[in-house]
Amino acid sequence: MNRTLRDPIAYFVFVAPSLALFLTFFAYPLLSALRYGFTEWNGVSPAKFNGLANFARALSDPDFWVSVKNNLWFVGFSVFVQIPFILLIAVVVSALRRGHGFYKTTVFLPSILSTAVIGVIWSFVYHPEAGLLNQLLRSVGLSSWAHAWLAEEKTAMLSVLVTNAWQWTGFYVVLTLAAIFAIPKELTEAATIDGAVGFRRAWYVTVPLIRPVIAVMVLLSVTGAMKALDIVFVMTEGGPYGTTEVMATYMYRQAYKLGDYGYANAIAILIFVFTTALTLAMQYFNRRTEDVQ
Amino acid sequence: MRGKRLVWTLACGVLASGMLLAGCGGKSSGGESGGAQASVQPSAQPSAEKAEPFTITLRHTQIKDTQKKRLAMLQDVVKATENEVPGLKIELDGVEDKVNRFEKLRAEMAAGNPPQIFDLFGGTDTRDYVKAGRLLDVTPILEELGLKDKFYSLAEFTVDGKVYGLPMAGYVEGLYYNKKIFADNGVQPPKTWDELLKAAETFKSKGITPFALASKDAWVINMMMNTMWVYTAGPTSVEDIVAGKKKWNDPDMLDAFKKYETLVKKGYFQEGNLALAYAEQQNKFAAGEAAMVFDGSWANTPLTDPEKSKVANDVGFMLFPALGGPGDGYINGGWSNGYGFSVKVKDNPRELAAVKAFIKNMYNEQMQKRQLLEEGMLPALKLSDTSGVKPIIAEILSVSSAAKGTFPAFDSIVQPKVREALERGMQELLGGRTTPEKLLENLQKVQEEANRGS
Amino acid sequence: MKTTESAGRSVVAASSDARACSGMPLRSRARTFAAWRRWPRHRLFEAVGHAVMLTYVFVTLYPLVWVFFSSFKTNREIIERPWGLPSSLRFDNYVQAWSGSKVGTFFWNSLYVSTIAGTATVLLAAMTAFAITRMRFGRLSKGVSAVFLFGLLVPAGSLLVPLYMLLRELKLYNTPLALLFPYAAFGLPLTMFVIAAFFKSVPGELEEAGVVDGLGAIGLFARVVLPISVPTLVTVFILNFLSNWNEFIMANLFLAKEKYRTLPVGMVAFYDQLNMNYGGLCAAIMFSVLPVVALYAVLQQKIIEGITAGSVKG
Repeated sequence: MNRTLRDPIAYFVFVAPSLALFLTFFAYPLLSALRYGFTEWNGVSPAKFNGLANFARALSDPDFWVSVKNNLWFVGFSVFVQIPFILLIAVVVSALRRGHGFYKTTVFLPSILSTAVIGVIWSFVYHPEAGLLNQLLRSVGLSSWAHAWLAEEKTAMLSVLVTNAWQWTGFYVVLTLAAIFAIPKELTEAATIDGAVGFRRAWYVTVPLIRPVIAVMVLLSVTGAMKALDIVFVMTEGGPYGTTEVMATYMYRQAYKLGDYGYANAIAILIFVFTTALTLAMQYFNRRTEDVQ
Repeated sequence: MRGKRLVWTLACGVLASGMLLAGCGGKSSGGESGGAQASVQPSAQPSAEKAEPFTITLRHTQIKDTQKKRLAMLQDVVKATENEVPGLKIELDGVEDKVNRFEKLRAEMAAGNPPQIFDLFGGTDTRDYVKAGRLLDVTPILEELGLKDKFYSLAEFTVDGKVYGLPMAGYVEGLYYNKKIFADNGVQPPKTWDELLKAAETFKSKGITPFALASKDAWVINMMMNTMWVYTAGPTSVEDIVAGKKKWNDPDMLDAFKKYETLVKKGYFQEGNLALAYAEQQNKFAAGEAAMVFDGSWANTPLTDPEKSKVANDVGFMLFPALGGPGDGYINGGWSNGYGFSVKVKDNPRELAAVKAFIKNMYNEQMQKRQLLEEGMLPALKLSDTSGVKPIIAEILSVSSAAKGTFPAFDSIVQPKVREALERGMQELLGGRTTPEKLLENLQKVQEEANRGS
Repeated sequence: MKTTESAGRSVVAASSDARACSGMPLRSRARTFAAWRRWPRHRLFEAVGHAVMLTYVFVTLYPLVWVFFSSFKTNREIIERPWGLPSSLRFDNYVQAWSGSKVGTFFWNSLYVSTIAGTATVLLAAMTAFAITRMRFGRLSKGVSAVFLFGLLVPAGSLLVPLYMLLRELKLYNTPLALLFPYAAFGLPLTMFVIAAFFKSVPGELEEAGVVDGLGAIGLFARVVLPISVPTLVTVFILNFLSNWNEFIMANLFLAKEKYRTLPVGMVAFYDQLNMNYGGLCAAIMFSVLPVVALYAVLQQKIIEGITAGSVKG
């Protein structure tokens, strides 16, 4: 037994292909990004090393900070608006006696569709004339509330965030439900006997018990919000005039519309750094509050 | 059962490696078998490798719903070309026009691997690509086919006396207006700025959109803006700015932008225009809901198509009203969009033959006349007979010939970064986010930086 | 549940109280009123809960339903009668979208790219997972694990630009391989961890039996381990398939030729091309959405299980 499982050739055969694939198409580009982030390069002529110039430029670039701010909006919305809503829905569903399967199936649906296609659907929903939203408003007499949702500074970012929420809320609801149903029955019954029912039970008993899953949800939401690209790209391309730009779309624009590959790579590195920093901060915060509990 | 699994794994492995080999091998666009020959035979008759098939790629932008006829014409050219060159297969690759011009093609030029034949814009684009050595010099082909003097103007595609692209049509830009709406409201086509403001006010009060506009695609905004600043500052203004002799924020330039701001502030532009893509402005006009729309001659097709447009018979075309400057009465026009060819074609006699055949079939009197009649595309070649055209075309042609002169579009002269900055700035102006002064100040900064760089 | 029973008993008690207290003519009204007042909170909560959920489900699904109905209408109808069913089931929009634009090609491209990349990911990940969980190369395995773990942390967006440049250098740009390799590679980390977690839960007796039968490590893997992990492998394959099918930004960037284009990229291009033709746009969207919905209807259990399991572990 030991000999078979110590067979170096077999090990090599098993590990080498995936490692090779991964290193070539993942690790090498990562190193490449690190390298080119410190150069000035237009994609044609050889790259010129320019030290930290790109990073300095990013930090003083007002457009870059607008994109960072938008990513933070994303994070804020995901954590402080979506998550309470998700918990509410999950708790409601878990407290109902019937219909779990039906609700799970239906709310989960948007998360399996392509983000790009959802972007197209909702761009159409937000269309100023033929779109669902404005038609709805006009037909109930609220014509004054009709806007060019994706074209106005004030409403564009919010519209994109709502679409994003539409896509992912169901996914997290199902995730939370799985966690809620994993709570041992004894605990919920004990709580009921003690007199905690309905909302009070949910808040004081259920939610704390699913803390780990909530933490995962928050983590996924935050990393997702930092990485956001497809949805903004398809719906607004960062418009109107750059007010919905996020870091990833800004990076894309630098590379493909303006041919500034060095700068784009520097931004890519910054996205990674910011995401990691935020994640670590959350881990730290999580541990602190856990200790308190 | 278990053995099957092993077989499956092996099969997948074979499949994967097969794909790998297929991908590596067949990817490079055909014609390897010919072998590179140093000299190009003038009368390209591929000799020994007659029947051996090879493929070249043709990148085009005729993918919109409204461009079906143009695509059909292109396909006819492709067929004729394929018939002339044995073994040739032309693969049509359609990409959206602005994506091709500003992103895909540019990136491919940077990488050095553009398609063999592609949709190309003259001016800055051509100059940049020639500098990088990516374009085929077609001057010898033109001489061979006797086409050199048949074109109205090859200026935008000529660099250092050599021609690198061939325009497929000419264009002009001006103000389309709905004759019926004007007549019903007792308004005469405006000839001055004040008349224009009065007309717009009349229309607005009747609930008619004065100017249809779709500004999500930012380049659309600059069609009218370009004409306006040339009117106030003169037809050589852009060249002077790029040469450093003039500034974006000079008072005569500022005048035009301020006038544009007036139109924005008074709400004369289509509502929600920042959310609408280009085709929507034609849609609005064609639905009879807008009085005017500033657009190019190419737009005559959707506006006068009786199947798609409600106002097909009421469309008129006029010059933008005079603004009281040196450029009044000029018209924005030129021959700036056509086809270019990859320099790599030179090393492959079969591909070169294909290119020649394409040029021959695309650029002849018959095809140009057909474009004019069916699509209202102004000819690039001098035609001996321009009869039988649609009334709107006749009107466009007469307006253009009555103009004081033509000037080229600004984006064929300025650097890409400047164009981007202006596009962004105009969207901000429409959104009320900036003022003409700030816009131009910023633009001048970008221009100076770009001038230093090049 | 105890609460319901006790609540039920109190309802019965209450109604009999009411009957005793009230006068004859008002008997029935009083009974109903008293009964309402004693209505178990539980049932009220149920009703409200369902109402809330049904509203939420309706709001979630309505955009899709609206697009579906609109795909059968003319532009006129869409603007004038946005609600309500289409006046007739006309397939014009579908025909136009299919013939005018190359939906068939895009569909086929998405299908084979997703399938091949997904299969490759699952196979390679399974092999590696087996090696690091079962085979006795402790420290080496830890190192390999760490490498893939790192893959979970890095956002794909950061790698877009260098990946594009790499593909250019390898001359893979604008070929199907430009998507196959990255898709397969990017799916590896998560897939491997999920499969490894599964392997860890499988007892080792089966393998010992296999060794006794004279199988080598590769044989063990192919004949013993793989067959019993089929359910997990299928789930993980579905995850990868969906993720590849829906991917947009890389497909948009790494491919220029129309003939290789995938469905999401085609969709976005439609939005530009058909933006006046609302009916056609809706039909095009349906082409992309209906197959996924159909797949979901059939496989939803597995899909939900797989995604939630993967996320929790990740």
